[in-house]
Amino acid sequence: MNDIVFLLINGITVACIYGLVAVAVSITWSALGLLNLSYGFIFSFAGYGAWLAERHLWGEPIFVLFMGIAAGVVGGVLVCLLVFIPVHDKPNFTIRGMIGTLAVSLIGGQILLQSFGPKAKLLPEFFGYSKIKILDVTLTADKIGVIISSIIMLTLVVKWMKSSRRGLEIRAMMMNPHAASIVGIGVRKTGIYVMAVTGAMTGLSAALLSQTYYLSPFSGLTPMIKGVSIALLGGLGSVRGAVIAAIILGFNEALTTKFIGGRYVLITQFTLIIIVLIFRPRGIAGILDKAREA
Amino acid sequence: MTKKKNTWKNPLAIWGAKGGNYEVPTPPYKDPHEIWKKTNSYKVPTKKIGRFHYEYKSSNHGNKIWNRLRWWPTRRTILWTKGVYNRKSLKAEKIRKDKRPIFWFFGLLFLAIAPFILPEGNKTALLTAGGIFGIYASINLCWTLIIGTAGIFSLATYAIVGISAFFTCWLSINLGLPWWTLPLIGMFIGLGFGIIIALPALRLDGFYYGLLTLGLNELCRVFITTSKAFGSASGGLFGADTFINQDWTPMTQTYASYYSAFLLLIAALFLFRFVDGKRIGRILKLAPEKKESFAEASGVDYKRARVTVFLISSVALGFIGGFYAAYYRGVAFNLFDFHTVVMGLAMITIGGIGRSEGAVVGTLIIVILDRVLIELGPMRYIIIGVLMMFTILFLRNGLFGIRKQFKEWRNKKKNEVRSTRVERGGEMLPEQSTEMDNKDEVYRKRYDKMQREFLKTLICNEIIEEHKNKPLGQHSEALERVLYYFRRAAMNDKYVVKCEEPFKKYKIMALSGVRGRSPRLVEDKIYPSVTDAYHGLFLRRVQDLMEA
Repeated sequence: MNDIVFLLINGITVACIYGLVAVAVSITWSALGLLNLSYGFIFSFAGYGAWLAERHLWGEPIFVLFMGIAAGVVGGVLVCLLVFIPVHDKPNFTIRGMIGTLAVSLIGGQILLQSFGPKAKLLPEFFGYSKIKILDVTLTADKIGVIISSIIMLTLVVKWMKSSRRGLEIRAMMMNPHAASIVGIGVRKTGIYVMAVTGAMTGLSAALLSQTYYLSPFSGLTPMIKGVSIALLGGLGSVRGAVIAAIILGFNEALTTKFIGGRYVLITQFTLIIIVLIFRPRGIAGILDKAREA
Repeated sequence: MTKKKNTWKNPLAIWGAKGGNYEVPTPPYKDPHEIWKKTNSYKVPTKKIGRFHYEYKSSNHGNKIWNRLRWWPTRRTILWTKGVYNRKSLKAEKIRKDKRPIFWFFGLLFLAIAPFILPEGNKTALLTAGGIFGIYASINLCWTLIIGTAGIFSLATYAIVGISAFFTCWLSINLGLPWWTLPLIGMFIGLGFGIIIALPALRLDGFYYGLLTLGLNELCRVFITTSKAFGSASGGLFGADTFINQDWTPMTQTYASYYSAFLLLIAALFLFRFVDGKRIGRILKLAPEKKESFAEASGVDYKRARVTVFLISSVALGFIGGFYAAYYRGVAFNLFDFHTVVMGLAMITIGGIGRSEGAVVGTLIIVILDRVLIELGPMRYIIIGVLMMFTILFLRNGLFGIRKQFKEWRNKKKNEVRSTRVERGGEMLPEQSTEMDNKDEVYRKRYDKMQREFLKTLICNEIIEEHKNKPLGQHSEALERVLYYFRRAAMNDKYVVKCEEPFKKYKIMALSGVRGRSPRLVEDKIYPSVTDAYHGLFLRRVQDLMEA
């Protein structure tokens, strides 16, 4: 029993981190129609930004965390300027945008490799080393910190999207990009906001993950693929669906590791995704009849 | 400074014409053609836009147009030729409508004789790269069938090859299967794996499927790399049976591997030709993305066709996987890397998605960058990334879409230039002239406008003075031109002199131009003599001319 709870908490921690990337993928797709596969690069970029800040500016963990988020914003805006803004009004935008983001991640990964070398880096523990014991279960500070900080981030983003003027613009773009541009919502400007916000989320997840795992030029790949899978399961374009999917996949990971074995996590995960997608082709919370037509 | 006074001498003066007017001052002569030339000249720079005048056209005879070489025993012609007449010289000529077979022939001929003409120094390295090129080009051709022909955006192509390669390799090592069975077994593995990943393709569309297959690729990678049976310790599985005999000299081995990869490429090209160019490919061309419902309404079962193409490609990919295992005596994990997928995507993107030449040439470019120019180091991946960026930013469909894109751009430019050129004098709006039945009227108006423009330049005090002195009779050249124009005017609203009382009262009227409808009075002014009335009428017409 203790094992299961431990694994569940692990699963939820990981789900929080990957869920951030998933929500980022989801928002980008639904607001901009851009299938951004360069979150891996933004992830590593943000991680290295945090690492540089820790090395050269100030070693205070909270500061490093915020610098990671800031670096994520920079990375997101960079991808927006390089790919989204030049390509968004050209024919075959979706496929060209996707390949463009892949190209950015290829170039960016190589540049990171050139500048920082293949040696892995480690970020400091942001939340200290304390432990709490609740009902026979030991919770470490970093797990609680990960869960709380990602929930705060997600809540802030959702609040911002619900209540601010910019959020209204982004939601209008999600519903109907064409009509949104007719009523005066700038596609490029909104693109920069969206990419900055999603970059911030990726940056947070990069900082959170790099304190547990190591940071390397291509370490963003797994979180991105996990995030994409979660977004796919939850339904591209739905924040609620992404959260549900992250929880489901976190549970799946914990249960598979416990009962079948760690090697089979991805197999059960994709079997689950395929089964869900066969019955609901647009994911758990995706709208069934209408796809976003970019 | 005194202006040179221009005078006109009345040619009738020698007979002593009554009423004088022997010599009058007049404006200098103006060429009426000038305005004509000015109006008809192009106001924008006209650039030469070529029409293939550089293209070689073989001579022809009218009777020989139908004598064509054919592939025995089919009715297919070897080259698609067309007999035409040269527009300039009216000579009968033959043109090649489709020159791609020529390029294919020479390209493949080069690949076939490459081992004998490559420089001796780095021949082995180049031939090894050539072998890699053959295998990757074959994989990319199958991938092009899936993405381009079937329109299924699958990123799990390299996963199928990898799975097939790993399983056949494992079978060969553990059961001792000979090399020639590996591709055949690989076909079945490819089919099985293809069926599994084709299932969601029926329900998901476009990019959902792309993302799913990306995940499947990762799944295969993780599953294989963590599996002890597949050599998680040694970074891959090695020791499969191979068709390249270890007893041969190293050069013979290189030649054998190069030519086997070349044969694989030829086979993949044939597969592409027979899937994409035949019935199944044709019906899929009717059902591009977002036009599926039209295809369905036309009686095309596009889903079935898509899955068929997908499964055929999967079988071929499985074959390539088995071949891969037998070729390299094993297989490494990097076949499942995300990096490999990105490189493959770079190959087909740079060449152009959906075309066989795009897949092959794109593969060639990337293989040269990746495997031949190794001394560039990690820089070469940055170059590949920049090439990809360039392709998606500026090209609509890769290298082989440039021709079409350029043609479209040129037509656009041509139309822009043409639209600036058709502007003549603005005498009639374009939509008016389309509505007018009598097109002569359009031209008459244009001519009329030019004439009025010219006549305006003639009006000056001299000719008004001349007319005042002598309204009738012979006049100077300039005045005569103006008067001819006035007299030729249409009957409606033409000014005429009305005699109220002979030698005392004259008035100016305008004709209605319609039979039976009386003229209208234009002014109340009374002229004392007919000459005064003539001049008043002339002034009125001059005023109308200058104001129009």
